[in-house]
Amino acid sequence: MNILAQLIVSGIVVGMIYGVIAFGYQLTFSTSKTLNFGQGEALTLGALVGLSLVWFLTARGLGIGLAYIVMLPLVLMFGLAQGAVVERLGVRQAIKNKSEAGWIMATIALGIIFRNIAENLWGRDALKFPSPLPEIAIVVGPVRIQPMEVVIVLGALAMMLAVEAFNRKSIFGKAVVATASDRDAAGLMGINTGLVITFSYALSSMAAAFAGVLIAPITLAGATMGGVLGLKAFAVAIIGGLSSGLGVVVGGLILGITETFTGYYISTGYKDVPGLVLLLLVLALKPTGLFGKAVIKKV
Amino acid sequence: MLKVTNLVAGYGKVQVLHGISLEVEKGTLVTLIGSNGAGKTTTLRTLSGMIKPSAGSILLGDREIAGLDAFKIARRGLAHSPEGRRVFPTQTVADNLLLGAFPRLTGARPKNDVMADRDRMFALFPRLAERRGQLAGTLSGGEQQMLAMGRALMLEPEVLLLDEPSMGLAPKLVAEVFSIIARLKAEKITMLLVEQFAAAALEVADFAYVLENGRIAASGPAATLKNDPAVRAAYLGAAHASAHV
Repeated sequence: MNILAQLIVSGIVVGMIYGVIAFGYQLTFSTSKTLNFGQGEALTLGALVGLSLVWFLTARGLGIGLAYIVMLPLVLMFGLAQGAVVERLGVRQAIKNKSEAGWIMATIALGIIFRNIAENLWGRDALKFPSPLPEIAIVVGPVRIQPMEVVIVLGALAMMLAVEAFNRKSIFGKAVVATASDRDAAGLMGINTGLVITFSYALSSMAAAFAGVLIAPITLAGATMGGVLGLKAFAVAIIGGLSSGLGVVVGGLILGITETFTGYYISTGYKDVPGLVLLLLVLALKPTGLFGKAVIKKV
Repeated sequence: MLKVTNLVAGYGKVQVLHGISLEVEKGTLVTLIGSNGAGKTTTLRTLSGMIKPSAGSILLGDREIAGLDAFKIARRGLAHSPEGRRVFPTQTVADNLLLGAFPRLTGARPKNDVMADRDRMFALFPRLAERRGQLAGTLSGGEQQMLAMGRALMLEPEVLLLDEPSMGLAPKLVAEVFSIIARLKAEKITMLLVEQFAAAALEVADFAYVLENGRIAASGPAATLKNDPAVRAAYLGAAHASAHV
């Protein structure tokens, strides 16, 4: 029983990271029906840029906690810019030409380029990302949890809620939602829908960069850290449904918890299998995802 | 206010409009009638930038808008209530109306009082007031049509394009839509109305153009065209009218 609670909590932490990255997939898919397959590399770059900033700031005498807080907004801005670059270079032309596969190849290619850049600037070895919080587990009943893990869960939720609130409350957010439901009609409203798509790519990479600096202190930071995370988050986005905000959180939790269970009860060697089996099952049985809704058009 | 000269446009390699010219004077209601496939919707889509023309000129006021992106044309004051209504189904009625005022809310057009205008829309379309918090996708066809018109009016447009506002509506709702168009005309809103229901359109319009196979086949004051034998035979025939009502 004790181990069960521990496995669930650990699964939630990993699951929220998957959820944030998958949330990024959802953002671009809703406005443009395209995805950034370099989402994992956006996470990598976010974590490594964050690491360099933390090095820079602590070398100038800032405490690690303060350095982490100062670094966060800078990394988020870096993520926004990186996503905008991906859209401009890899996606815009493909959308304009109504190319079915152009954006897939282009975003994968950009992802590989970004990974190479990361390998050259930060090296091939995984680096220790100093934790802004004490690395002493808090014990709650049967469960041991690191303070940073609490930050991951709360930070991930806060980011998704902030984007949701922006979409519902601000006129710019409403323009994003309008572009997602009918791009041509949104254009008639005077909305620059091309810019909205660039913005959704920027937000998507920002989410990934944020996930990167959240997870790096409890794992390690390195050029290859994002690849597998990006792929698993893709599975989460498919499981949860690319059109449902709630779906990615639940999808992330399902995958995270399944993984920790498999890792413990079967073998860590097989911990990636159940998620992918789940992905195959969802694709076969409910292709719009567990929470996806088929769009009904009134004529 | 709107002056179109020798407009040529189509979809891909299929040319639909073969050089049409028309004019909508400030404060007037002009209608464009014609049979299915004549190019009425294509004309409006080209005017609002949803389709790029391959030749010709479109002057809005004294500024050329041919070839501009749709969002830029909207920001210059041309509103388009499109065929099929195209309301934003996952957003509320109130939000749909606000989105119509997007250029005003973001500084691209004079702001004035957007909220007061939204209340005016609720007064003009009382059915929408009752459903202001409801998602647009849950409205009936007639309500969606009113929302599409209200949303376009929220731009405070220089010119309003209305594409088939009566399409698919029950006769009672058709009458309601036309009475609203008459009210907008009384408020001196400049409008270009595309209608298959030609009799009602000619009744309410000041001036009319007849479109045939992508060309203007006839034009004149609506009252004159209504009594023109050729127009009557083609578009106002007894059989045709009864099929609609």
